[in-house]
Amino acid sequence: MMEEEQPIEVAEVDLTEMTEQEILEMAVDKTIVWKGYLACVDEDSCIVQSPWFLGEDCVFGADSDHTTLAIAAIQLLQSEGTQIDSINSLNDVEASIVLMATGVEVMQTSTDDSTELNAEWDLCIGDDAVVLVCKTDCDMDILEPTGGLDVDEQFHQEMTSAWEKECQPEHVSQGAYVSRQQYHEGAAARLNLMSQEVDGELIWPPRQMDEKGNLMPQASIPLQGVATIESWTKLAAAGAPSEFSIRAPLLGGISTVFVRFEQGPRGVFLLVDDEDDNPKIGDQVQFAIRRIYAQEGYIRYGLKCQIIRD
Amino acid sequence: MQFSSQMYILLLGNRCYQVPNTPRRVMVDVAVIGAGQTKYGNHPLGLKAMWAEAATNAFNSVDKNFEANLVDEAFIGSVAFGGGQLGNTAAILTEHSGMKGCSVRRVENACASSGFALRDAMMAIKSGEADIVVAGGIEKMNDLSAERKRYWLGVSGDTEWERLAGLTFPGTYALMARRHFHEYGSNHDDLVNISVKNHMHGFENEFAHIRKEVSFEKAASGFMVADPLTLYDCCPTSDGASCVILAADHVVRDFTDDPIWLKGSGAGSDHLALHDRHSITQMSATQKAVAQAYKSSGVLARDIDLAEVHDCFTIAELMATEDLGFANRGEGGLFARQGRGRRNEGDVAINPSGGLKSKGHPLGATGTGQAVEIFKQLKGTVEAPRQIRDAEIGLTHNVGGSGATCAVHIFGRDR
Repeated sequence: MMEEEQPIEVAEVDLTEMTEQEILEMAVDKTIVWKGYLACVDEDSCIVQSPWFLGEDCVFGADSDHTTLAIAAIQLLQSEGTQIDSINSLNDVEASIVLMATGVEVMQTSTDDSTELNAEWDLCIGDDAVVLVCKTDCDMDILEPTGGLDVDEQFHQEMTSAWEKECQPEHVSQGAYVSRQQYHEGAAARLNLMSQEVDGELIWPPRQMDEKGNLMPQASIPLQGVATIESWTKLAAAGAPSEFSIRAPLLGGISTVFVRFEQGPRGVFLLVDDEDDNPKIGDQVQFAIRRIYAQEGYIRYGLKCQIIRD
Repeated sequence: MQFSSQMYILLLGNRCYQVPNTPRRVMVDVAVIGAGQTKYGNHPLGLKAMWAEAATNAFNSVDKNFEANLVDEAFIGSVAFGGGQLGNTAAILTEHSGMKGCSVRRVENACASSGFALRDAMMAIKSGEADIVVAGGIEKMNDLSAERKRYWLGVSGDTEWERLAGLTFPGTYALMARRHFHEYGSNHDDLVNISVKNHMHGFENEFAHIRKEVSFEKAASGFMVADPLTLYDCCPTSDGASCVILAADHVVRDFTDDPIWLKGSGAGSDHLALHDRHSITQMSATQKAVAQAYKSSGVLARDIDLAEVHDCFTIAELMATEDLGFANRGEGGLFARQGRGRRNEGDVAINPSGGLKSKGHPLGATGTGQAVEIFKQLKGTVEAPRQIRDAEIGLTHNVGGSGATCAVHIFGRDR
C-alpha cells in the first residue's frame, strides 16, 4: 500500500460553502476530510461518507461508490496504525479491488448463505453513500460525520444514469482496450503505487526487463502518496477518450496531471471528478482511489489526484 | 526486378519459380524516381481506389516508362484505422494496383508507419536484394461514425497507463506544451505563429486538406481542445494515400535522368509513455534519428533548404525545430516568432506543403506524403507560388504517436 498519509483536520480545509459555525461543529464532532470524503474514526471503527447530499440523502460523487468508500475507510484505519487482515461483508463491493488497494481480504457472503464469517472486522454499507468499518465486537456508539454539500440534482441524476449506461455489459470497446486481465496485471502498481527498486532507484510503473536484458525485480516498494504537478491539461469533452465520452460532457471535460513523486518516478493521473479548480505547476497532490471507467460490465478503478490546498 | 543476371529455378511443390541469383551488393545508393499522392481530406473513395490513385500518380511522375510489375518489394504503412482492412492490408492494396505477386507487407508504427516503410524500402535496396521498391502509406479515417473514430483516436498511445488517465494525443501534446512554456518561456502565441504559417503554406497546395489561410487573431482564439492547445493547434483527421518509388543506382537511369537521391536515413525510438521519458520537452527518438540521418548523408542542419516536419500539433513542430537542430534548445518559440520557418523568407522552409496542420494527417500515409512533397519541391514541380527557390536538400521528419518512434530522411538533388 502507499506510504501512510495523515488525515486532514476538517478545520484546516476549505470545504467550500460551509459556515464557520458548521466547520467548528465538525471539528468538535471529530469529523475529518479523508480522500475527499467525510469521516470519523476511532480505534475500533471508522465511518466514511460522501460529502454530497441530495436533500436528506447522502449520495455518491461523480466517480465514487461503496468500493471507493470502503477502501478509504480501511486506509484511514490503517493510517491510524490499525492492523486489518480481513473483513466480513454481506454486501457487494469489489473484493479484488479492495484487496489490491489495501491488502485486506473481503470475506463476502450473501444473507442467505451459511458461510461463516470469521474476520475480526465488519464492513457495513447501506443504501446511502456511507460505509462503516468496525470490529465485530465493537460497541455501536459510533461517531458519525457531520456537514456536507448539496449536489445539483440534475447533475446527480444524469451522472447516475451515465454510470448505469457505462456499466452495461454491452458497453464495449471498439478500439483502444485494457482487458480485465491486463488491468489486473498492473493493478498493484495502479492502486498501490508499488514500484521496483533497481540500484537504489525506484521505477514506476513497473517494467519487465532492464537494459542488460535481465528481468526486473517484483514491485514491492510503495511510493509516497504525495507528488508535485509538472504539467497539466484539461481536455474538452469532445477531445476526451471515448471511454469517458458519456460522462465527460457532464463534467465539462476531464483534467489530467503529470506529476513527479519525491522518490523520482513520474506519472499521469486524472484529477478526482469533484476537483473543480485548475491545477498549477508546482501544486502538490495526494491520491485517492476512484472509478475511472467501465467496459463490458466491469469497472476499472485507479488512483486519481486531489490538489492539496494550503 | 530486371532479370538480366544469372537465374536459377526453384521448384516448390509442382510449380517453378525463377529466382535472381545476383551476388549481394553493398553500398548501393538509392534514388526516388517517382512519387505521388491523393488529395488529403474527406476522400470520396475507399481504400483500394485511394491507393490506386496515389500509385497512379507516382507511376505517372516517373520521367521515363514505368510499369507496376517491375516492383520487387512494397512496404505500405497504415494504422488500419477503424479496422476496415486490419490484416493483409498491403496485399489487397498492391493486388489492386498492378503489383500482384510482389513481396509486400504492412508497416505499422503509428503515425510514423510510412516513414518507417520508406526506411525499410531503402534498406531493401541497400541490401542488394531488390532494385525497385515501393514505399507508401494509406489511411481512411473519415468513413467512421463519430463514436467509432473516438475509440480509434489515440490507440497508439500507452493504452494501459496514459489512456486510463484520460489521455489521447491532444492531451499528451498539451502536457508537453505547458511544460515547454514553463521551462523555456515559450507561449501560446508561438504556437499560433506556427499555425498561421502552415495554413499560409498549405493554401496553395492542391493536395492539402485545409486550404484556408488563418489570421493570428483567429488562430489565437480557437476553441480549447486540450488546454493550452486550441483547435488551431491540432491537425485534422484526414483520408489519404501516398506512394514513393525507389530505385537502386544501377537502374535509375532506366527511369529518369533527373533522380532525387535519398542521401540519408535515420530512425529511433523512445519510451511510449511520457512519464517514462527523460524529458517531455524534447524527443530523444527524433534526436537519435536525425543524428543518424545527418551522419549517413554528410549533411548538417544548416544545409537543409526545406523540411517536412511532423506537426500533428503545433507544439510538435516547435519541439522538432529544436530537436532537428534548426533552433537552439529552448528557442523553438523564438524561431517561430521570428518567422524563420517561412517559405522563401526564413532560414529553412518548415512544412512548405502546409504540414500535417494544413495539408492533413492521414496517419499511415503521412511519412511518404512528406517525401512526395520533398520530391516535387526538389524536382520543381509544385505549384509555382509555393516553390522553394533553389531547393537542393530536403528533410522529412515523421513521428509515431507522442514520440515513441521517429524516422528522418534527407533527400538531395546531388548524389
